[in-house]
Amino acid sequence: MKKLNWSTWIIYIVLFLLSLSVLVPILNLVAMSLSDPLKVHELDGLDILPKGFSLINYEVLFSNPLIVRSIFNTLFITIVGTLLNLFLTAMAAYVLARTNFVGKKLVIVFLIVIMVFEPGLIPEYLLVKDLGLLDTYLSLILYKAINVYYLFILMRFFEDVPDSIIEAARIDGAGHFRIFTRIMLPLSKPALATLGLFYGVYHWNEYFRATIYITDPNKYPLQVVLRQFVVQQDNTSLLGAQTVLSYDKIASLDFSSLQAGTIIISMVPLLILYPLILKYYAKGALEGGVKD
Amino acid sequence: MKVKAIFTRIRKDWVIYLMLLPALIYFVTFHVVPLIGMKLAFQDYRIIGDNEWVGMKHFEVLFSSPAFFDVLKNTIIISTMKMVFFFPIPIILSLLIIEVRNGRFRKYVQSVVYLPHFLSWVVIAGIWISLLNPADGGVNVIRNFFQLPSLDFMTSKDHIRWVLVFSEMWRSAGWDSIIYLAAIMKISPSLYEAARIDGATNLQQMRYITLPELTGTIVTVFILNLGFFMNAGFDQVFNLMNDSVLSVIDILDTYVYRIGILNGQYAYATAASLFKGLIGVILVLGTHFISKRLTGKGVW
Repeated sequence: MKKLNWSTWIIYIVLFLLSLSVLVPILNLVAMSLSDPLKVHELDGLDILPKGFSLINYEVLFSNPLIVRSIFNTLFITIVGTLLNLFLTAMAAYVLARTNFVGKKLVIVFLIVIMVFEPGLIPEYLLVKDLGLLDTYLSLILYKAINVYYLFILMRFFEDVPDSIIEAARIDGAGHFRIFTRIMLPLSKPALATLGLFYGVYHWNEYFRATIYITDPNKYPLQVVLRQFVVQQDNTSLLGAQTVLSYDKIASLDFSSLQAGTIIISMVPLLILYPLILKYYAKGALEGGVKD
Repeated sequence: MKVKAIFTRIRKDWVIYLMLLPALIYFVTFHVVPLIGMKLAFQDYRIIGDNEWVGMKHFEVLFSSPAFFDVLKNTIIISTMKMVFFFPIPIILSLLIIEVRNGRFRKYVQSVVYLPHFLSWVVIAGIWISLLNPADGGVNVIRNFFQLPSLDFMTSKDHIRWVLVFSEMWRSAGWDSIIYLAAIMKISPSLYEAARIDGATNLQQMRYITLPELTGTIVTVFILNLGFFMNAGFDQVFNLMNDSVLSVIDILDTYVYRIGILNGQYAYATAASLFKGLIGVILVLGTHFISKRLTGKGVW
């Protein structure tokens, strides 16, 4: 191994400090949420270890009906949404990548036009309203049912499946739908996993459409509750929903720690999936040349 | 005869069309219909019955409204600040990361700096509100260490735009560096070998090989970013906004949200967002052609 010279050392130190600037604020919130409520005031913004130790914040948050329900809402939207995304995207990608039909060029041009021109917020809102989808999960699931960029990425994967396999199936008398479900889908599991992560992260993080489409607090996804509690500093609607909590527990609560706990809860699924995300997502983003 | 042949083919391929149908229905419903719906900018909205055509009325009101010019100004200032201070950061970061030869350290750095990209702006806003807390947030702890007084960045009109720039760096610098890293790795190693034989230092190699080879990628990313110039980062502003600083970070998109969704002035808000969209298209086309003139490279 070559000996490190001073300029390399500087680069290593700069990069290490940058990595700390990302990690410390996150670990600080973890420490805050796990600190003993009586000692949390000793914790300052650069500490990454809790002062004392207590799970009271998570106990309170996980006994809060609003939070618990919002977690299930988000899980439902994310799972159903992602499955629908994958099915619709894959079916369209199969047709566009592996079949010839009258009007195919027209469809591709149509998709490119759609990719370039984003409609505005208001016509979208009015459409959802006119369709009677306000206050339904369906509005959040259908609104981004197919992402054109991802569709093009998947088409590129499908084009790489060898012709011989498909020909063999065709000779055995398989129709397009059968080839799609029995051959294309199983053969492109890595590609589908990649896109599943793309779509899954999108659904998990979605808050804005939910803010304008959903008005019933029982249907709020986690991000909307998080926003209300942490960004808008609205403690009342959250704690108002708290049912089983003794008075001495309420007295000992520290709101910043509760907020920190909520932030951490909403990050946990991403952190669990992060190794997978790094493996697939980073690769997919490179190959598709996608931004965002 | 030819027409008949086409029809026979279409009838034979009905399964294909059936499989394409759900996608087409989706795109027409959720993309084409709202796009056509942008015509609302030239109408008055009616809850019952047909909307009434009013020509350029909303645009006239828009262009004579001081509030609109305030948000337009904020949008341009914030986007320009990001272009100047954020845009070079991922490039610099990629140049630093590529110098790391130790595989484990490089993997650690990359894994950490990509992470914030996957967090929603709600989460990031939460993290930054805590980080910038005037009492004991991390940034003020550091300031106090250097004998500087604590500052309440989130409610300071002088600082909030910088909060936008830096939180953008925190979230996107790592992820955005990927595209440059990929481009650097595609540069032929023989170029560097030849330079080393000629006695070029690391810095000279960066200046005369890496940067020139990166120009195409940089131009492309720059033009793509210009397409989002008028966006200025809606989700970010939406979550970091508060009443004390509204006047300096209210941008076109938050304005459209407020007058459209909150105040229900649908047509007027649509006019504002149509204006925004037009500027975006002009910016992309304009820079594309200028760049093609100057460097021979455009987006397409």
